[in-house]
Amino acid sequence: MFTYNFKYELKLLLRSSWIQLLTLLLLLLFVFASYNGKQKVDKRTADITSAQTVVDTSDKETLSILLAIEKGEDLNLSPWVTPTSPINIGNQNPRVAAMPANEMAFMSVGQSDIYTHYVLPKVSGDDFALNLSEMASPIQLLFGSFDLAFVVVYLLPLIVIAFSYNVLSEERERGSLKLLASQPISIRKWVFQKIGIRMFWISIMVLLATTVAFLLNDIKSFDGYVLFFVTCVIYMLFWFGLTFAVNIQIGKSTQNAFVLLGFWIVFVLLIPSIINQVSDVLYPVPSRNQLINEMREHKSEAEKKQDQILDNFLRDHPEYAVNNDANSKSFWHSYMASQKIVKEELQPLLSEFDNNLAKRQKWVNKLQWLSPAILVQQDLNTRAGTSKADYENYRQQILNFSNEWRDYFMPLLYNNQVFTSEHFSKLPIFQYKSDKSIINGYRLWGVLLLTSIVLVIVIITYKLRTKKEYSIIQ
Amino acid sequence: MITTKKITKKYGDFTALDQLSLNVKPGEIYCLLGANGAGKSTTINLVLGFINPTSGEALINGKSVFKNNIETKKDIAYIPENLMLYPTLTAMENLDYFSGIGGQKLKKDQLESLLIQSGLQPEAFYKRTNAFSKGMRQKVGIAIAIAKQAKALLLDEPTSGLDPKASNEFGELLQELKGNGVATLMATHDLFRAKEIATHIGIMKSGKLKQQFTASDISLPQLEKAYLDTMNYKELAK
Repeated sequence: MFTYNFKYELKLLLRSSWIQLLTLLLLLLFVFASYNGKQKVDKRTADITSAQTVVDTSDKETLSILLAIEKGEDLNLSPWVTPTSPINIGNQNPRVAAMPANEMAFMSVGQSDIYTHYVLPKVSGDDFALNLSEMASPIQLLFGSFDLAFVVVYLLPLIVIAFSYNVLSEERERGSLKLLASQPISIRKWVFQKIGIRMFWISIMVLLATTVAFLLNDIKSFDGYVLFFVTCVIYMLFWFGLTFAVNIQIGKSTQNAFVLLGFWIVFVLLIPSIINQVSDVLYPVPSRNQLINEMREHKSEAEKKQDQILDNFLRDHPEYAVNNDANSKSFWHSYMASQKIVKEELQPLLSEFDNNLAKRQKWVNKLQWLSPAILVQQDLNTRAGTSKADYENYRQQILNFSNEWRDYFMPLLYNNQVFTSEHFSKLPIFQYKSDKSIINGYRLWGVLLLTSIVLVIVIITYKLRTKKEYSIIQ
Repeated sequence: MITTKKITKKYGDFTALDQLSLNVKPGEIYCLLGANGAGKSTTINLVLGFINPTSGEALINGKSVFKNNIETKKDIAYIPENLMLYPTLTAMENLDYFSGIGGQKLKKDQLESLLIQSGLQPEAFYKRTNAFSKGMRQKVGIAIAIAKQAKALLLDEPTSGLDPKASNEFGELLQELKGNGVATLMATHDLFRAKEIATHIGIMKSGKLKQQFTASDISLPQLEKAYLDTMNYKELAK
């Protein structure tokens, strides 16, 4: 039966203008979405390159000034810009702490339209954890980005439904089912094979569309290509499992279509939305405005008692007080000491912010198993390096680097050392390290598990029903 | 051989078929006559195993249809009232597909030979069936049935809507199959055709087999009168 089903199902599909249209649509969606994703990645890369160019130009100028000063030239520079001051270098020659896009970033915009991809940590700057989000168009945030992940998670199930919602009901409505059922075959097996063949067909189309999308965007990662395709196939398996269940349980094509669209709404829209809403209620994150206001209040308080803060700071850090005397205390000595106090006082609020974010993410991670759409979206985001975990990893690296940057200048400041070209060559450098442990395949196993659950429920329901072939044929 | 033993089908309180027993031997054509709702199609559906009986049993060559549904279907060929094919496949492809999934692997010349045997015009063999008339589709259906080399043939109003020529050709084909030892059970409204091709005729009403005849023992007018009497069409019977 399979050989004949395979041969003629492919002929029927190839001769159906509706299927041809769907196939073309699938190709167009993949190509457009991947192009769109690549545009965003290119912009991100261009932004980082542009920032790096500005820094490189500034570094070159600064170094030439330093060398000139070291040769004894009098450049008559203002004390606020002279590069011999460590704080001036720490503020005016920051490094670019960038999170470059990985090769697969084009397939899922993920959180990348919310967060920035580079920051320039300054020695006197605020806590960089607060400055990671980027201004984004609210319209775009509302509708999301039209990337490959969007096409796979949201639109591919609709294409699967359109391809296979009426495998059995079409036969019944056309009148060919009775002739078919009079053959020595199991109709359930026949439906299963037909749906399997249609899945094979769409898989071929997805493979073709993926190949075109990867080639057009010059993506050379073969692993990424294979894994993306496997993700699509596993996700489609879930939806084909559902269409099989609906095909053999329900009678008319219109009913099938409505039931399957209902499932789409539940799994793709409702469950993710409900999880998000409930997590907002259970683990509210303190508002960013509250954080910023508190930070300003603490700064203002600190400025009022800067002398006292500096004394306390030097008592806590005697290593910085070696060359200290009353004449060498500058604005920056007091300011940097107060920055540390402000940071310590803000720590509980920042911790609450971080803890609630972590709890919320943990909760969402637990409930992601309820929807294959969430699992696949998360999987694609992690592979694209645009997941929440990736940005959290980036944020931690920026925090560490900003501390490293500050720590490099603090001894120079408090020891009243002159900044030299030798110091310049030893400036800390930021190198983003992606966390490979974020990527793992357990979510795809989760989708397979959900598919198995659907099929087991179908089998049990069928076994429990007293009606057999009759329910399918009539 | 097609056998039903006191087969009954109820839908709630409604009895669609009531204790029907009949026996169609190889080389016999049994025509079931009756008005709409008499239980003719229900009988065919029960013998095909499309529906489960409330009680009783249907057998094909001594095997229970309900216990060995797929196995017994190997011996059954079926032509419904309005046979529909895959419109985007040609006659040859439809025949190849339906024969193939039933386990008959046929070569191109065998498929052509079957279509010739069914009476389909050769120029239609490689045309898509979307423009086929009902008669042409029925012929493809007959070819599917012949290909199966089935021992039992079930026909549900096969000549309704056919023009007289097509109907006549259909009758001739049934006679050929009868000669090959096929047991045929046919539900029809067509008294004339039933008298012409059947070896046995049964008249059904309200799910019951009211009268049975050997076709050779009864003339067409007698059959017509018996039918109208059974249906209580007294005015017409006069």
